[in-house]
Amino acid sequence: MVSYITRRLLGIIPLLLGITIISFAIIHLAPGKPTTLEQSLNQKVSLEARERLDKLYGLDKPLHIQYINWLNKIIRLDFGRSFGDNRPVFNKIAERLPVTLAINILSLFFIFLVAIPIGIKSALNPNRAFDKSATIFVFLFFAAPTFWLALLLMNLFGIKLGWLPISGIKSLDFEYFTFSHKLLDLAHHLILPVFVSCIGGLAGLSRYMRSSMMEALNQPYIYSARAKGLTENQVIRKHALRNAILPIVTIVGLAIPGLLGGSVIFESIFALPGIGRLFYEAVMMRDYPLIMAEVVLGAVLTMLGNLIADISYAYVDPRIRYKNNS
Amino acid sequence: MRNLLEIKGLKVNFYLGRQVISAVDGVNLDIACDEVLVLAGESGSGKSVTALAITNILPRSARITGGEVIFEGNDLTGALEPDLIKVRGKEIAYIFQEPSAYLNPVYTIGAQICEAIMLHQNKTAKEAEEEAGALLEQVKIKDPGKTLLDYPHQLSGGMNQRVFIAMALACRPKLLIADEPTTSLDVTIEAEILGLLMDLKKKIGFSLLFITHNLSIAKRIADRICVMYQGKVVEEGARDNIFASPQHPHTRELISAYEKIGKI
Amino acid sequence: MSRKLFLGTLIIAVFSVIAILAPLLSPYDPSQIDGANLLMPPSARHLLGTDSLGRDILSRMIYGARISLSIGIIAVGIATMIGLIFGSIAGFYGGLADSLIMRFVDIMLCFPAFFLILAVVAILEPSIFNIMIIIGLTSWMGPARLIRGEILSLKEREFIQAERAIGASNFRIINRHLIPNAIGPVLVNATLGIAGAILIESGLSFLGLGVQPPVSSWGNILIEAKSTLGIAWWITIFPGLAILITILGFNFIAEGLKEKIG
Repeated sequence: MVSYITRRLLGIIPLLLGITIISFAIIHLAPGKPTTLEQSLNQKVSLEARERLDKLYGLDKPLHIQYINWLNKIIRLDFGRSFGDNRPVFNKIAERLPVTLAINILSLFFIFLVAIPIGIKSALNPNRAFDKSATIFVFLFFAAPTFWLALLLMNLFGIKLGWLPISGIKSLDFEYFTFSHKLLDLAHHLILPVFVSCIGGLAGLSRYMRSSMMEALNQPYIYSARAKGLTENQVIRKHALRNAILPIVTIVGLAIPGLLGGSVIFESIFALPGIGRLFYEAVMMRDYPLIMAEVVLGAVLTMLGNLIADISYAYVDPRIRYKNNS
Repeated sequence: MRNLLEIKGLKVNFYLGRQVISAVDGVNLDIACDEVLVLAGESGSGKSVTALAITNILPRSARITGGEVIFEGNDLTGALEPDLIKVRGKEIAYIFQEPSAYLNPVYTIGAQICEAIMLHQNKTAKEAEEEAGALLEQVKIKDPGKTLLDYPHQLSGGMNQRVFIAMALACRPKLLIADEPTTSLDVTIEAEILGLLMDLKKKIGFSLLFITHNLSIAKRIADRICVMYQGKVVEEGARDNIFASPQHPHTRELISAYEKIGKI
Repeated sequence: MSRKLFLGTLIIAVFSVIAILAPLLSPYDPSQIDGANLLMPPSARHLLGTDSLGRDILSRMIYGARISLSIGIIAVGIATMIGLIFGSIAGFYGGLADSLIMRFVDIMLCFPAFFLILAVVAILEPSIFNIMIIIGLTSWMGPARLIRGEILSLKEREFIQAERAIGASNFRIINRHLIPNAIGPVLVNATLGIAGAILIESGLSFLGLGVQPPVSSWGNILIEAKSTLGIAWWITIFPGLAILITILGFNFIAEGLKEKIG
């Protein structure tokens, strides 16, 4: 176990190097070559951007020096200043991160809460009415663009029925609310965004859980459990479920890039002040330092998510926890 | 000798989509108290399905479609689930082909044996654990205290089969069904496991239904032999009679296969 | 042919024909602005209504099918080619090449694809061409892993060993045996990939960072959907349905193929 964790921790070093090198390479796609300047529609902006980039990255120096200088800065979390308002990029991200994390953690929670029982129920009675209707929903949810579903739901619950707010995270008079009222107000604003960000994961995870559970139910140890005299209920709960649910831990890690990518779209639609919307704004304004910081941050978050998922999996699965000490 | 188990005209079908496959087609057999019956046949002949059908722990796609399984005077095929679970593990226990796959990978050996003990006996967790240790000692495991805390993947196949035997015998069953329990093990371990089974049978006393395709095992341990072929029992008789004058061509095939192996 | 495969193929065939015959089928010029008919609901003249510039939604969708489908197909073509090359080198040669390539795959998989795509779009300016390439360059990792895995398992099989024994070159073995054998799973993956690429394109275009007006794609018709929410339902419903049905079609084909391969 300890050696496994050490190995995984050492493994992130080349990953981090790779992430920073690729991010660095992307900066160098930025306008600056005379040809792109001439073709650019807004030469003045490009010229200005170019000068600031020059200053920020020292683009006149040789590539490897540039990279090392940049790496040196970002290790100290210095991502430069935003082109937009000249504030440190790191501060801008830090103040927006909680909203995105909150929405994604809530989404993950609801995805697990709903998808796991659906998957199990489907697996226990495959090809019956419940499983078939679940399958249809999964297909539809997989196929529908999330932003389109968001639009439909906003139209129905926000505009037609008027039940839910469709933009922002709090009401205009939020400051005057009592504490519990504030919480309610936040929850009220989060219902639609969280629901929308759940949908893709819900479809995926319920499918995964279904097949994982079906596989577990076909394992030899299920026959032993029945042969012991356990009731079918005990067989399912104690023996099949435990085995089927373990690999789900790793799904959390795999879900992170999708959730982060998705947050760009639904934070923009619902006007939520998270890093997804910040990223969108940065892209619209060609705010390169902010864009690069978000790309690096997104990759590092994904990497950490995978790392945590792998280590937790190793912890919950005795086959990895006690690897051949005999 | 009184018959412990009588199987009469047992039929089992598999339902795969629209296809219906008959796996067991009117099997008759009986086992007396304290007897060792070897059920022999090639793979796919319906031996294992017959074994699973006795306490109705068949896969979902299979169903008993006819016949009776009379255990101590009661027909198990007509029994309800709550009555069947009192028979499984307590009166009739199983050991299987690949012990390492038939033990649950996420529970310790101790937890799995204790589960079997506590299911049918009124014992506290602590008593069950002591009992589990004693059972491991009975199957000649050297360090029972440590083994109880191990997970199946940490033990060898032979060790896991010992564990499985301990677990199966936890509630002193009257009938032990052994479905090819040594097929996945190498020859020396096979001999050890067979020896252990016969020792325990002598010590504790139970009937043994032993399923195998390997007639050399039958020669070693059987009182009687039943040969199955394509879902039916094609030949049945005392061990020495079967070897001396096999009637059915399939029995002859099995015997000649065994003799060939013997020569090598 | 299974029901899914049939249905999926039918859907995609219909949409492809529509895309190819766009100039013949579309009732109006898709970028024709008509000040007298702004935001008209569906009617006999405009079957699916008009947008806020009076452009015919149906015509924009018919031309949009061209853009959306070709971006999906070409992006996946690029991704599959890159995956095929990297995956077969890694799987076949193993050793250092394998560990370098697989590390690269791990690194690429750390980036949320949508972040990477947006960043590159911000820098390079969105154009149909750039979008195809960027989606392709950020989605080859799945195919690469898949092909590597297929090759690793095929490599041990007897007919490959036999080829080796008679002295066939590595290139010949890869080309003649491994790739044809691995093609089934790759096809399933590519079909799902097209669906994914169309979704990404529609998301990008919806954000205004994909296909730029006046050229129409299903995603960029939906740009107006938010500002006309509650006013012009037809702008939201029809392009979204077109995306949904197309994705369903590709997913059905993938499922059907998967069942067929087994």
